[in-house]
Amino acid sequence: MTVKECYDAMGGNYDEVLSRLRDDTRIAKFLGKILADPSYELLVTSIANNNAEDAFRAAHTIKGICLNLAVTKLYGSSNALTEALRGKSEITDEAHKLLEAVTNDYNATIDSIKSLQA
Amino acid sequence: MNDSKKTILVVDDSELNRALLVDMLESDFKIIEAQNGLGAMAALVEHEMEISLMLLDIVMPEMDGFEVLAMMNKQGYIKTIPVIMISAESGGSVIDRAYDLGAIDYINRPFDERTVKHRVMSNFVLTLKQKELSEMLSEQIYEKEKNNSLMIEILSHIVEFRNGESGLHVLHVHTITDFVLKAIVKKTNKYGLTPKDIRLIDNASALHDIGKISVPSEVLNKPGRFTPEEFEIMKRHTVEGANMLDNLPFHKDEALVKYAYQICRWHHERYDGRGYPDGLKGDEIPIAAQAVSLADVYDALTSERIYKPALSHERAIEMILNNECGVFNPLLLECLKDIAPTLKKELEVISFGCASEDSIDESVRQIMRTDGNEISSRTLNLIERERLKFKYLADISGEITFEYIAAPEMLKLSDWGADVLGVPSNILDPLNNKKWCGIFRRDDFDDFIKRIHATTPEHPVATAKYKLVISGEERWNKVIAKVMFGGDTEAPEFEGAICKITDINDEVITLANLEEKAERDQLTGLFNREAARVRISKLLTESNGKKYALAFLDFDDFKQANDRHGHQFGDETLIEFARRIRANIRANDIAARVGGDEFIIFMEYKDNVEAQVARIHKRMTGDFKGFYIGISMGVVCADENCIDFDELYHKADVAAYSVKRATKNAYKIYNDSLSELLGDDGE
Repeated sequence: MTVKECYDAMGGNYDEVLSRLRDDTRIAKFLGKILADPSYELLVTSIANNNAEDAFRAAHTIKGICLNLAVTKLYGSSNALTEALRGKSEITDEAHKLLEAVTNDYNATIDSIKSLQA
Repeated sequence: MNDSKKTILVVDDSELNRALLVDMLESDFKIIEAQNGLGAMAALVEHEMEISLMLLDIVMPEMDGFEVLAMMNKQGYIKTIPVIMISAESGGSVIDRAYDLGAIDYINRPFDERTVKHRVMSNFVLTLKQKELSEMLSEQIYEKEKNNSLMIEILSHIVEFRNGESGLHVLHVHTITDFVLKAIVKKTNKYGLTPKDIRLIDNASALHDIGKISVPSEVLNKPGRFTPEEFEIMKRHTVEGANMLDNLPFHKDEALVKYAYQICRWHHERYDGRGYPDGLKGDEIPIAAQAVSLADVYDALTSERIYKPALSHERAIEMILNNECGVFNPLLLECLKDIAPTLKKELEVISFGCASEDSIDESVRQIMRTDGNEISSRTLNLIERERLKFKYLADISGEITFEYIAAPEMLKLSDWGADVLGVPSNILDPLNNKKWCGIFRRDDFDDFIKRIHATTPEHPVATAKYKLVISGEERWNKVIAKVMFGGDTEAPEFEGAICKITDINDEVITLANLEEKAERDQLTGLFNREAARVRISKLLTESNGKKYALAFLDFDDFKQANDRHGHQFGDETLIEFARRIRANIRANDIAARVGGDEFIIFMEYKDNVEAQVARIHKRMTGDFKGFYIGISMGVVCADENCIDFDELYHKADVAAYSVKRATKNAYKIYNDSLSELLGDDGE
């Protein structure tokens, strides 16, 4: 699998990331970091524990990473969740719903990156 | 820019974000990473001086980016370390807040390699330049303070020497001006005097009479009244002084110089407009000149001059208040009344040494207090912190530290050290300072100075041991000096040394005791053979016309003492014998126990060695608790043919042996007829 194919599979914008990071190897290296980043686990636990503040930061981090790497689809859902959590003191129903979308996109993203690395 | 990489602090909670930035920047910069605000603050404390730029995320756990900025403001880092914010937050209010808090730029995520590099580079170059400039500036400000005091001291002393005024005049005017200005500030702020202004005016006051350099000395030092022509010449010193300052090739625009100009030109103006040179009236006369004018008159009245005796403080105040010596601003006269009691007291204690030190100290403190001088006070703070650290460490270590400065030759002691030694912290010309030489003997200190002068930049440390008198007690101390060199590596210049005095008396004594023990026979306390050999050989080689003889003393029938009375008694006999030896030789003679019952005495003699030997033999021998101590004694005289210890020892032994074989309990002076016995086994 090429980096471009990986981006197509997970709904990312390959042209954009290439223009910014300018190198397939570098892009692949940083995609690997998404696998290692604990934010998604933190997000899930925080929402389960009704900790809106931590959940906001976790969602925000995921959004930031996706933005950097032009992982557009996951960026979209994590951005929506981030905004839903911003300034909140507890987890809303909306946030629970948005988490489902994030989870779907996250899993798709992880699977694609794992295939790229395989 | 230097060829060494500059350091950037990257603060972001996302490892991936940091990694991306590092990846983009690490080829050009050294990167320190922190994963939240607390980590950032820790990195700042630890690496403050290295960090040239900071990339700061906003949303982070522990302490977010805004809090970091706020902290940086509070602690002053924001002024020296440029911060570029990075975040996916792109709302205008967020950016505004970051700028308000002192961030200099803002990079949006997602990162674009070119953008990041470009922003970092351009901000970096920009602020690096600023930083270098401000570093230069702060050094200059610090230097300037020193230079100014120095310049002022030099100039004002020149004037005073020519004036024949006491050197204290300038110091007095400085102090009085300071009091007057501070009193004014208490009453009114209409002159807008800040602490910085006061400090500058105080310093500039010293220059009030520099124009007198241009006045011919016949006029200047004329004891009697001036003719009208002479008075005109004299009056010119005001304008001349101002012109000198106006013609300065540099520093012209500095506040200090501006104040000095006002003071020089207008310190002879009168509040009623009848002064000179410009006839300014009331508050047309700058307040700096008014204050100095008052100070000048007061000090002139209370000091002795060629043409008049000194007036009392009370009389001087009275005359000024009655407008007998010019007309002053009524407000200043009020101030003068307020400060009159302090003035009298303070001026009595003013003396040369402390004044310039005080004023420098005060200047430093003032700079640190003054707003608008953050860069300088920051540097000074750092210096101060280092100084306190050093002082504290020096004090708790129980060691006395001092700095030796080569030119002008002086010592600066740590406060604690000065206390312990009972000397001032600053000692000028230490070699001729009685107090210092009472502690560090002049010869020793001279030796120490020679040693530190003999060091090189490659080997800048000198160590030596001296007996110092501390608190009236003479004790061994080790003095270690690290020499500082200025100049360049081609031609290093000796500037002075940082020195440390450590009391090693106990070690030295212990060591000496051990050495002593190793040299002594345990039973009798006399030297052992080896120790005697070393000492005797030394005396023999340096014999300066002195005549020496070596005696070998062998107990007769010592075995019987042991056999008949036991070993205990044998030992007692030997101890008694040693006592008799010690009682009958002189302090410089050397006695040793060289075998079980064999001793030697090395002694100086004048003319008749035989008489001396006979006397010693007589006193050594005789009854001891029922046992007769008899001695077979052989003596040999050292001469230019025979100054070797072993040879003398052998010859004395041979002579003693010949006695033993013949009569026992007698002495024999070695002569060549005994030489046939040499080569025997000697026993």
